[in-house]
Amino acid sequence: MTLRATVVGAGGLGGPIALSLGAAGIELTIVDHDVVELSNLHRQIQFTAADLGQSKAARLAALVEARGGAARGVGARWTEDTADELAGDADLVVDASDDPDTKFSVADWAIAQGRCYVIAAALRYGGNVMIGAPGVACYRCLFEEPVAAPSCADAGVFGPVVGVIGGAAAAFALAIAHGDRAFAGAIAVFDDLRRPGDPRIVRFAPRAGCPACARAPIAPSLSSPVTPPQLERAAPVRVAESS
Amino acid sequence: MPSIRVPTALRSLTGGASDIEVTAATVRDAIAELDRRHPGFAAKLLDKGAVKPFIRIFVGPDDIGGLSGLETKLSERDEVAIVPAIAGGRDA
Repeated sequence: MTLRATVVGAGGLGGPIALSLGAAGIELTIVDHDVVELSNLHRQIQFTAADLGQSKAARLAALVEARGGAARGVGARWTEDTADELAGDADLVVDASDDPDTKFSVADWAIAQGRCYVIAAALRYGGNVMIGAPGVACYRCLFEEPVAAPSCADAGVFGPVVGVIGGAAAAFALAIAHGDRAFAGAIAVFDDLRRPGDPRIVRFAPRAGCPACARAPIAPSLSSPVTPPQLERAAPVRVAESS
Repeated sequence: MPSIRVPTALRSLTGGASDIEVTAATVRDAIAELDRRHPGFAAKLLDKGAVKPFIRIFVGPDDIGGLSGLETKLSERDEVAIVPAIAGGRDA
């Protein structure tokens, strides 16, 4: 069975995510309303100067297809109104946007639809990746609402960081897409990639009264303790053999 | 002693220190201790005595929300992680 995923954001995070998922045989819808700018190139290394002014979504989809994958690029914003069209057939949604509202919208939609999802973010020298699935605590259980979250506009991001966070997000996405729930309901925290020890994988409890979980077809059990994470175990991702 | 892992976004308050040992017995006391040593730290994490909605605090792998909240007790080897919500991908 062919798996389908929607990747929201075709920038520094979305690049490695889409290329990795596409190379692993997942059919992609890549969503980004933006065009490639010169200031993007230091961290969105999937693009070149020849791409300036072109749709990020279309260019990234073309790069996925050039590697043998299947992808369509959609030059649009992810909103509540466009979500069904952009991800209605997706088994998985991966947020690689740089906007808190979009992250919550992606998570809320996935929870309500009973889909798996991954939320990736990067800032300065670190970032985090949250892995969501039906029946576990959700992104809104974790951070509640998109207010005053630090953004790259405030603090910037070190170019190579997005490659690492995006690669990790792709690995977690592949795992959850193939049914491995070892990290469902956890967040991988890359505090500072210049230091050893990252990521720290932590789990969080469902939050009583979470409005997103209230709309979920499978609500998390507030009375059940969260299963301890298997910290030593790498996600058993199966991807195409490569040399 | 328990140690606090300071996220990069808050290290301007700690003089760049990323791991700080504390003598506190609870998470709340640890934040208060850090605030005494690095004024302004608590205000970044707490609002009216509660953890701000876009910040989560973990003791080891466990969210304090599933433990005893800010009153979660700390033991000698505990590591406390402060995890803020972030949105990224764009340069400064």
